[in-house]
Amino acid sequence: MPTNGSRRTFVKSVGAAAGGTALAGAMPLLWGSARAAEALKVGFISPRTGPLAGFGEGDPYVLELVRKSLARGFSAGGTGYAVEILDRDTQSDPARAGQLAKELINGNGIDFMLTTSTPETVNPVSDACEAAGVPCLSTVMPWEAWYFGRGAKPGQPSPFKWTYHFSFGVKNFFDCYVSQWHELPTNKKVGVLYPNDADGNAIREHLIPDLQKAGFTVIDPGPYEDGTSDYSAQIARYKAENCEIFNTFPIPPDFATFWRQASQQGYTKIVKIAQIAKTGLFPSNVEALGSLGDKLATACYWHRDFPYKSSLTGVSSRELADGYERASGKQWNQQLGASLSLFDAGFQALKNSAAAKNKAAVAKALGALNTITIVGKVDFLAGPFPNVSPTSIIGSQWVKSKAGSKFPFDMVITEHANDPKVPVTAKLLPYS
Amino acid sequence: MSGGPGIVVQRWSPLSIGAMSCLGALLVLLAFGPFYLGPYLTDRLTTLLIYVIMAAMWNALAGYGGLVSVGQQAFFGLGAYAAIRLSHAGLEAYLALILAPLLVGLVSVPLSTFALRLQGGEFAIGMWVFAELAHLLVNLDGLVQGETGTSLIALSAFAPDTRRALNYWLALAVMTVLVAAVFLLLRSRVGASIQAIRDNQEAAASVGVRVMATKCLIFVLAAVGCAAAGALTLATLISFQPKTYFSVQWTAYMIFMTLVGGLGTFEGPVLGAVIFFAIETFFGGSGVWYLVGLGACALLFSLFLPRGIWGALRDRFGIALMPVGYRLQFRPRAGKAAT
Repeated sequence: MPTNGSRRTFVKSVGAAAGGTALAGAMPLLWGSARAAEALKVGFISPRTGPLAGFGEGDPYVLELVRKSLARGFSAGGTGYAVEILDRDTQSDPARAGQLAKELINGNGIDFMLTTSTPETVNPVSDACEAAGVPCLSTVMPWEAWYFGRGAKPGQPSPFKWTYHFSFGVKNFFDCYVSQWHELPTNKKVGVLYPNDADGNAIREHLIPDLQKAGFTVIDPGPYEDGTSDYSAQIARYKAENCEIFNTFPIPPDFATFWRQASQQGYTKIVKIAQIAKTGLFPSNVEALGSLGDKLATACYWHRDFPYKSSLTGVSSRELADGYERASGKQWNQQLGASLSLFDAGFQALKNSAAAKNKAAVAKALGALNTITIVGKVDFLAGPFPNVSPTSIIGSQWVKSKAGSKFPFDMVITEHANDPKVPVTAKLLPYS
Repeated sequence: MSGGPGIVVQRWSPLSIGAMSCLGALLVLLAFGPFYLGPYLTDRLTTLLIYVIMAAMWNALAGYGGLVSVGQQAFFGLGAYAAIRLSHAGLEAYLALILAPLLVGLVSVPLSTFALRLQGGEFAIGMWVFAELAHLLVNLDGLVQGETGTSLIALSAFAPDTRRALNYWLALAVMTVLVAAVFLLLRSRVGASIQAIRDNQEAAASVGVRVMATKCLIFVLAAVGCAAAGALTLATLISFQPKTYFSVQWTAYMIFMTLVGGLGTFEGPVLGAVIFFAIETFFGGSGVWYLVGLGACALLFSLFLPRGIWGALRDRFGIALMPVGYRLQFRPRAGKAAT
């Protein structure tokens, strides 16, 4: 295409330029049709706007990295493919997620689907792919809520042929918490606040008995509905029982409400370890709590200090975090690594399949996938179910940033029971 | 039929006979849709058919019955939930999808005795409260697992093409049956009664209209229709998440389609559904601005075109493609129509 400068000469020599533009106009057409036969279409669905926007914040940057590394094509089984990644935003709406998946499958004819972040995104997309017979790989939601939440029954063979999921599960949380909670001397009394949803119920059913076996006393005031606005009864119970450890799996707005009430009613002064999950994943969640956010213990599925690099793009964990901060001016977050790991694992499966446009071959390759991504090992052969690969969750803590940092809080790694290759960078500090 | 001297009361006009024939031809054409439309269009048309059902049901309830409800999502969600439950109980998936709306219809009969005692705004809010209550009760079911929901995986057993075609045909059949039911109902004695109740309940009762029974009939019909829309949506999406299905957005869509198309006209909601479907197809990806635009659109319509597009056309030209009322035709020269 002519630049601005050459456009002036363009006016002088109309004839020649007209010929040139005609040629330039025809070029993409020729190029397009030559590519079409080999183009591999990959769908990527994530929440970028709406209440779950925090998860998709870094996706444009990750997509840019991936597109750059695939710009010269991708080869599997000796065949070269041009790769087209079609990314879509669910607007945090599950119905829209399912609709988008169907459009990508039926309208765009994708060969492979990738999706990430929360049951509201992953489950509808996985269901649409399972029904349409399109291979789908997903991450970042507890695998129990993905597997059992979509109607699979324990003790029966897996009903899923096309959909695969790698993510943390209850067992990973258990190992992480036991390791983390032994870092500080406490009375081992755990106050828990679990909502009535799949995460909350799965955790209640499986984590509580294991914690009791591991020597903790668990105080559970029972399930509450998402969106509850008064937690006085629960807080009174934790105070009466003197729970020095607190654990919760709420949606972020509920935690903000709960924690402010806990502070007003004096419970936060008793707590030594405030272990939160599902909220406090991103710096923005913690900043919203102001000074109450300091020293909250959390867990992460990726961190800038992870020792792994992206198998697809070659970018190391540190480079990913720094590159994002430079490009966006925002603080790094753990979803960056998770989104990138989805491409790492997905393209490794496409490569292993040796026939990237053959859907059955790709689904088979997913079931046999064993690879190292930027979040660590993804191994579908070792999973509890054929479609599931549990991945690690690492204990961490939000602390005030060192002087000179642009950002108020920093996340430090405090334990590594799930993956000893991840370096522990700080000692767990008591909340109060 | 003949009225006074020089006046003919007629139901069918050449225009409406023509329109009905075209509609019949269109239905036949649509019935063969999956054979020539391709997967994408078949899928999109299924969504459009579901929108037509929702709009027609809300219009029957509010436009003809005067029962303005902002809680129709209760039936939408219960329809999907009932299908999940029936399928879990071992029923064949499509049988469950067909029976679910009928089951919800049964539930709506006792509900109507309470709900229909409320008037105007009380009814609207009462229905919303009922929808929230239904949502919370469904959340308590262990099968649904709270807000996370579950999936109708029995549908994955069908080959993708078969399932898509079955969904489409089911939607088309349900839409035809429901819209035809509204049409026949409005042309019958009930049609005159229900509009009399809408205009003045006491006056209608005074001339012998059975107020409660008539309102109950239209209420149950709308419940069955909205439940069918919910079950069909489940058939296309497979995932059931209570928050999505019991979301007030479904009723908001119904209101939008009916208001834009023409409240209290038979053809309006169909037109509204097509317009809403087109807006969603072209602007659905633009996030928050899409919702802002939708809201602004509804606002402008209620301010400047309160009778909707079809209402305005009918007022101006006196056309009725689907005759649910009667027309007075003056013999000497073509006069204005009155319904």
